[in-house]
Amino acid sequence: MFFSYFKDLVGREVTVELKNDLAIRGTLHSVDQYLNIKLENTRVVDQDKYPHMLSVRNCFIRGSVVRYVQLPPDGVDIELLHDATRREARGG
Amino acid sequence: SLSSNICLETILCCQLLTSHSFIYDAGKLLVLLRDGRKLMGTLRSFDQFANAVLEGACERVIVGDLYCDIPLGLYVIRGENVVLIGELDLEREELPPHMTHVSVAEIRRAQKAEREATDLKGTMRKRMEFLDLE
Repeated sequence: MFFSYFKDLVGREVTVELKNDLAIRGTLHSVDQYLNIKLENTRVVDQDKYPHMLSVRNCFIRGSVVRYVQLPPDGVDIELLHDATRREARGG
Repeated sequence: SLSSNICLETILCCQLLTSHSFIYDAGKLLVLLRDGRKLMGTLRSFDQFANAVLEGACERVIVGDLYCDIPLGLYVIRGENVVLIGELDLEREELPPHMTHVSVAEIRRAQKAEREATDLKGTMRKRMEFLDLE
C-alpha cells in the first residue's frame, strides 16, 4: 500500500531520516517494491557532520535503512491514507 | 483472464525497471555501509537486493579534519550492508576545503586515538553512573 502511496509522491520534496541518524532532503525520484528510495537534488541535514556527502546530489537509499520519511504537510491527504489503510486491513 | 495477465506482467516489469535500473552512469559512486565505512568506486553490477560490484574501490577514512583513501581493488558488497549509494558530482568538491589528506599510517594513528578517546569517555561515564546525577 505504501508503495503506491510513495509513487504518488514522486516529484515532491521529502526528508529521509536513516537509522544511522543521517537525514537527507531531496526530491523523490522513484520508489520500488522494497521501498528503496531514489532522491535527486539532495542536501544533507547537518552537512558539517557528514563531510563525505558534500558532492552527492543524487542517491539511492536502501529501504531497510530508512527510519522516517518526512513529508510536506500539504503533501498528505490524511483521509485518503486512512481510507486506504482501512481497505487494506479489511481486505487482508 | 488475458487482460489481467498482461496487466500483471506490466506491473512486474515496471517494478523490475525501478529497482534494477540504476540510472547512474560509469561515474564515481560513494557507498555508505552499515558499519559506517565509506567506499568509493565505479559501479559494475547491481541487483534488487542492492548487492553491488565496485571496481577500483577505495575506502575513504575520515577522522576529524584528516582523511585518507585506502585502495581496495574489486569489491563485491552484500546488499544488506548497504545504507546508501550516492553519485559524486564531479563538478563539486568531494570534501570541504579545510580537510587534509594524510598517509595510511597517519590515519590509522588518528583512528586509534579517536577510538581510545571514545573508550575513555565510555569508561568515565560508566564510573559516573553510580552517582545517579541525572
